[in-house]
Formats: sequence, structure tokens, C-alpha cells
Amino acid sequence: MLRKRLTRENLNKWIDGLVASGLRVIAPVRERDGGRGARDGKGGLTLFRPITSSAEIAADYTKTDLPFKEWLFPPTEVILHYRIVDGEPVLEDPEVDATKTVALFLRPCDAAAIPILDSVFGGDYEDEFYMTRRRNLTVVGLSCTEPQPECFCAAVGLSPTSEAGSDILLTPVGDEFLVEVLTEKGEQLVNQYADLFADAGDLTKEQVTEQAIAKMLRKESLPTFAETYSELFEHPVWEEIARKCLGCGVCAYSCPTCHCYDIVDEATLFEGVRCRNWDCCGFALFTLHASGHNPRPTQAHRYRQRVLHKFAYFLQTYGRNMCVGCGRCVIKCPVGMDIYEVVQKVAQASERVGV
Amino acid sequence: MVTVTATGMAMPRETVKVSRNIYKPYLMTIVDMRDETHDTRTLRLQFKDPEVAQTFDWKPGQFAQYSVFGVGECVFTIANSPTRKGYIECTFRQVGKVTSALRDMEIGQTIGFRGPYGNWFPVEEWEGKRLYFVGGGIGTVALRGVMQYCLDNRKLYDEILILNAARTVADLVYKSEMDEWAKVDGVTLVKAVDPGGETPDWDGKVGLAPNVFEELKPTPDNAILVTCGPPIMIRFMLLAAERLGFKPEQVYTTLENRMKCGLGKCGRCNVGPYYVCKDGPVFTAAQLAKLPKDF
Repeated sequence: MLRKRLTRENLNKWIDGLVASGLRVIAPVRERDGGRGARDGKGGLTLFRPITSSAEIAADYTKTDLPFKEWLFPPTEVILHYRIVDGEPVLEDPEVDATKTVALFLRPCDAAAIPILDSVFGGDYEDEFYMTRRRNLTVVGLSCTEPQPECFCAAVGLSPTSEAGSDILLTPVGDEFLVEVLTEKGEQLVNQYADLFADAGDLTKEQVTEQAIAKMLRKESLPTFAETYSELFEHPVWEEIARKCLGCGVCAYSCPTCHCYDIVDEATLFEGVRCRNWDCCGFALFTLHASGHNPRPTQAHRYRQRVLHKFAYFLQTYGRNMCVGCGRCVIKCPVGMDIYEVVQKVAQASERVGV
Repeated sequence: MVTVTATGMAMPRETVKVSRNIYKPYLMTIVDMRDETHDTRTLRLQFKDPEVAQTFDWKPGQFAQYSVFGVGECVFTIANSPTRKGYIECTFRQVGKVTSALRDMEIGQTIGFRGPYGNWFPVEEWEGKRLYFVGGGIGTVALRGVMQYCLDNRKLYDEILILNAARTVADLVYKSEMDEWAKVDGVTLVKAVDPGGETPDWDGKVGLAPNVFEELKPTPDNAILVTCGPPIMIRFMLLAAERLGFKPEQVYTTLENRMKCGLGKCGRCNVGPYYVCKDGPVFTAAQLAKLPKDF
């Protein structure tokens, strides 16, 4: 692993260099127009958007309102085109975005979500739509120095300065940045601008990490249920927890790791597309059979699925839990469901039944 | 400058055409159809691409995504055995949007097909064993492929019992081919309908499938029981099998959960950590017992 240092001035030069080189650079931008629901009192939402200059980057953001996910896994996407010619369907393969892209300033929680999505869309039956975008993406993470009240990355095996998912991780240390170059992809981005970077020398991120974790309000390691979900499955605690859940789906839509999707056709008489759209396990129709049978008939069944998918099933299948502790679902939930508290509550309930 | 769309997503500057699209179906022509009941139909399909028709292979118990362009996709089992290649058959009940559109299709029209997906019945492990197939209603469809396989490889198995049951005579599927199954040496065919579902000329049994099966006193020695039907029937079949002395490892069934991708990605058909589309649809009673009740 290469370790470098970069001044603030050179960071901007580097970013502008990347933009000038023809790469698409996507970074947190404050969208002042048309943004609804902003909570920062400054108007607009902070979102990942392509930039044309380093000056467009939201300077003081703590966390984007939505995660980076939509750039790898868009809310809706055409997966098949067809036309009806002389009564016969003619299939056309759709185009997929293959623009060489640099994603700048993902917080470590958002960066860590990317390998989680990779394990779903890669593997057997590789999803070419996702993987094409993924192969063309380089991730530059930015360590977090101001954890927010809802944050709990340290409770799910990450930290405000963790490297997971980043090709390069920048950590602000004093007036400079420590640059950890973690992958070959990352090296390419740094090597082309070698004169901007100096040797890291004795620059370390330890103190930054400590200080950030000290500011984090929720960091007690969350339990997982890969071993105990069978015994917990019928526990009344789910009913109690899910009673206030509206099933609106905002938790899934704002989650950097949620990846469930629906496939639907949209067509006129002679032309159509098959689309893949974001879906959510909290919706009543999600598992409804054509026969009328529904394996998850109540919100308690559905909320249980959400928690156990993240903290038991995914862990069993892919070796890590499916939550990065960004806390977006916590701040966006209209009825104040808090997955950090929910997981603790489930764990306490499991102790009561002696699991 | 990048163009920004209404949703704020930038248009890509470079695109490539996908070339290994996992969601792209084969095109298949409907070459024949047969109504099994008032609401259930079997379609025979042929691949439009002769090369695919030659090479396409599957295992008994696997399923596929069938699609009507402009309407959507739908999951059914591949209802014929790989011993009967060159075509695909599916049997479906008209219950929703896609199955209604499929029911409106005519011979000669084209539908989409992608698969095969999922695991299959371990027919090699069953060699030398007695086989009991118990299907209820549309559930018999899930057994037809594997039954055909075992009938076509008759010598590999000990005696075979087929119980085809339904709520009423009108709901019994594969009426026209049951006689063909019964003609095979060493095959016993029993048909049954629920009490009240019989007609004056009904020559089969009257009773609930699990009860009829139990009354037949099938020995569990060196035997395999394969059953599929509505959830309530499966539940009571598993109990009946237990009373008859079958070990859970000897009993197979298939789960049907709502699916979209068929590839273990879309996150919908899971039962605990297992995806019915990838880890199933075939499960033994021993495996089911360990699963959370999420189906």
C-alpha cells in the first residue's frame, strides 16, 4: 500500500486534473434547486453529482442525503428492449453506462457498501449492468471527522476512517490529507499526478480515528443473528417493534446496501422495455403470491425480514452483515424506527428466551 | 458539459451494448396447447434458435421465467423431462396478469423464456428405490417432469406409485395422460378428489390426498416420497409420511415463492438465508424442518 500526503491546494489541482483528463468525476454537490426535505437549514440536498470543477463540491457536507448507490444501481433501469415487427418480438440489448468514473469523497460507510453490492451483483450470474459500471469506477473515500448523532459505523465493524471499498482513502490530518492508495486502480489515479503528492512520512490517521470515534454517540458493537435467527423467528418482539412501521420503504430507498428489485414490463402495442426497479421488503405486495398466499402477511413479518436479512442471512451467505451504520434510515424514517436500537432490542429479547 | 436529466442523473458519455445479459430471454414459439382444466393450460414451446433447441438442457425439477412481451415475466416449472428434449412444456393456472396474457396467446405466437434455474431432484441418488409421487391440484405440475424422467428410465427404479389428487374432478390436471403413466410396467396410478369433489361417474378415490396416501399403506423401506400441492396439503403430507415411518431425508417437496430475477439477487423469494430460486426449489423435509417458516 502506498502512503502519500496531499495539501488542500494540491487536492483541488488533482481533482481538476481528473476532470480535465476526461474522467467523469462524481462528488457531493449541494443541489440548491428543487431539493425537498433538506434538514441542514441551508436549503437543498447534498447528493452525488458529476462535477466540472473542484469548486462545485459541497465543502462542508457531513454525509450526502442519499448514498452513492444510485450510480451503480439506478432506481430504474432498462434491462431489455423489444419491438414487435410483423407480429414477432425482436429483442435488443440495451446500452449500459461505461463511462470511466471517479467517485470522490465517499464517507467510509458509503464506500463499504460497494463491496456488499458487489457480492450480490457479481458472483454466479454476473449482472452485466451493475458490473460494467463497477469496473469503470474508482472510489476515493474521505474519512469522517464529524460523525452525526445517527451514525453507528463503529458498531458494525467499520470506523470513520476504515478503508473498505475505497481505492484511495483520504484522511484530513491537520492542514493536509493522508492519502492511502489501496488498490491498483487507485495507484493509477495517483501515479499520473505524482508531482502533486509527497511522501506521507510520519503522517498517520490514528489520532483522527480516535477523535472521530470519541464523537460517535453509538458505537457499542451490534450483535448479529446468523446463529440464532431460527429461535428468534417467532419471537413476539417483532410484533412490538414493527407496530409503528408504516411500510413506506424510505429505509430501503435511502440505504447504501439495500438492493432488492422488481422486474416489470412497460410497453405500447409495438414497442416495450423490461425494467428493473428498486423494491423494498417492507411493501405488502413484495412477496404476495398470485394465489393470494403471502408468506409475510404483516408488517412484523416484513420488518423481521429487513433486520434478519441485514444481520443474519447476508452474514451467513457472504460473511459480513449488510449494514454500514450510515444512519440514513434512522433520520429519514417518518415514525422514528431506529435499526441500531431495534437490533439491540432483538438481542435483549433473545437473551430473555435464552438463545 | 454533462447533460443532467430530470431526476438529476447525468447521461453517460460512453456506453456499451450488453452482451451477456442475464435477463435476456430465448424466444420460443407456442407449437401446441392443451387445456388441463377450466383454468389450467399446458403449452408446448419450441426454441426459435435451432442451435439453442439442440443444446438446451435441464434437470428434472428446474424452473424457468416465461414472459409475454409487454406484460411481464412469470415463473413455472419446466413440466417435461429432459428425456423428452426438443421442446419445453409448461402448465400454468390463469390467476394473474401474466398468466391471463399467456392464456390469450395462440399457437404460432412467440413468448420469452429464460432458464433453467434452481436445483433439481437428485434422480441419480434415487436409483434402485421405490418411488411415491403425490401431487395435489396444480402441485402435480411440479412433479410431472421428474415423473416422466423416472418413467422413461423405468429400469433404474423399483416400483412406482403415482397419486394424482385434486379438490374436484374438474381441477384434476393431466387427465388425458394419466392412462399413459399407468400403462408403464410396475407403475400404480391412483387418482383422488376431495370429498364432495367427485362426479357420478368418478372411478377414482374420494378423500384428502394425505389420507388416501396413508390408506394405501406405502412402505417407507428403500423408498422416496415426492410431494407437491397447496401449502396445507404439503403440511399434512409431511405428517402422514412421518406416521408411515418415512425419515425426513426420504421426503422431497418443492417450494414456490414469488420470484423476479430467478438468480438469487432480487431478494424476494428467500426463506431465511436460502433463496428458493437458487438453493431450491427442491427441498427435503429434513431441510424444511430447519428453515424458518417464511413460505
